[in-house]
Amino acid sequence: MKRSIPWWLGGILMTMLLLFTFSILGADRPIGASTYIPYLAGLTFNLDPERYTYLKQIEDSGAWEGVFLLGMLIGGFFSSIFITKTFRISLIPTAWVKYKNNSVKSRMLYSFVSGFFMIIGARLAGGCTSGHFMSGMGQIAISAMVFGGVVLVTLIITGQLFYNLKQKDSNE
Amino acid sequence: MSNTSLFERISGMFENVANQGHGSVLFVFFAGIVFGTIIQYVRADKFEKIAGFAMLKDTIVPKMLFLTVGLTSIGLYFMVENGYASYHVKPIILSGLIIGGVLFGASMAIMGKCPGTGPVSIAEGRVDVLVGAIGGVLGALFFTIFFEDLFKPLMGESMGKFTLPSLVPGYETISVLIFGSAVIAVAILIPKKELVDEADICQITGKKLEECEEEAKE
Repeated sequence: MKRSIPWWLGGILMTMLLLFTFSILGADRPIGASTYIPYLAGLTFNLDPERYTYLKQIEDSGAWEGVFLLGMLIGGFFSSIFITKTFRISLIPTAWVKYKNNSVKSRMLYSFVSGFFMIIGARLAGGCTSGHFMSGMGQIAISAMVFGGVVLVTLIITGQLFYNLKQKDSNE
Repeated sequence: MSNTSLFERISGMFENVANQGHGSVLFVFFAGIVFGTIIQYVRADKFEKIAGFAMLKDTIVPKMLFLTVGLTSIGLYFMVENGYASYHVKPIILSGLIIGGVLFGASMAIMGKCPGTGPVSIAEGRVDVLVGAIGGVLGALFFTIFFEDLFKPLMGESMGKFTLPSLVPGYETISVLIFGSAVIAVAILIPKKELVDEADICQITGKKLEECEEEAKE
């Protein structure tokens, strides 16, 4: 038994949300989901936007995405409790145990380090899966296609090298 | 350091959104709820979906992403043509896009999340992703502090904000239709593969979590 909707329905719903957000009836802007992180860093560590020029640059979109993030957290929390019924406190993903190792310490360390570099990467490129891949390619922007292409290739190469795919498969 | 309390800074965030003219605070918040619910309901926030795609064992995320891109490109083009929306294109900063893309892609394969799916996962109770998010906030802090000296020069100059249709004057509509249908075709043609998380199945069916984690380890 699976409590999920198929990929095509997800794609259609996501398109409707993107188009409505883009429209003048909605927010007249794209959806992005990585500018909120430096914004939150500035907020948490009380950095002065007058001194750190980057914070000044992202003031508006960072605030917008900060409110969007609150919605994502609430939406994700309630849907995991009432719709997918998969809310649980867990430390290590099932597939990590299967294809990498069963050490919580290793998972936490890799998660922390990849989180650190992921955000630096997203901010260097000026967007992430939402801002570049979905919103950017939805606008057929060349910048988004360059980013999308590089990410797809690097993602798959890393996946093939980082996880123990052959060994574990032969045991099945 | 500016002399404000955390509470003042957070209320400043809401004030900013209320005054910037990109939808009301309530609209942005609601759009976030819908976004989070869609991601959750497709299960796109799961490690098994994104890291699973990196392992080429799950293709739900690329199928959904490509379908969204294809449909949005066509729909948005006609909305812009009729004055219901406008393009907000990001600049081509070539070395930023490439270096950033490599760091992003590699991290995404290892964490199995991205900044849009991570928060949904945290809301679902995944502590490892919360640890990743703390890493992310520190990464963003590092980026902000060394922006002028290190990262801005690394990103390079903008080569402009181009879209594919703007490069083929006279053939805008047809180029959008070709791009959109090609991307939708890719979404449909990618073979459907799924890597299932046994722990989720057990939780839904009511079996004990410990049993399932044992099963998963075997």
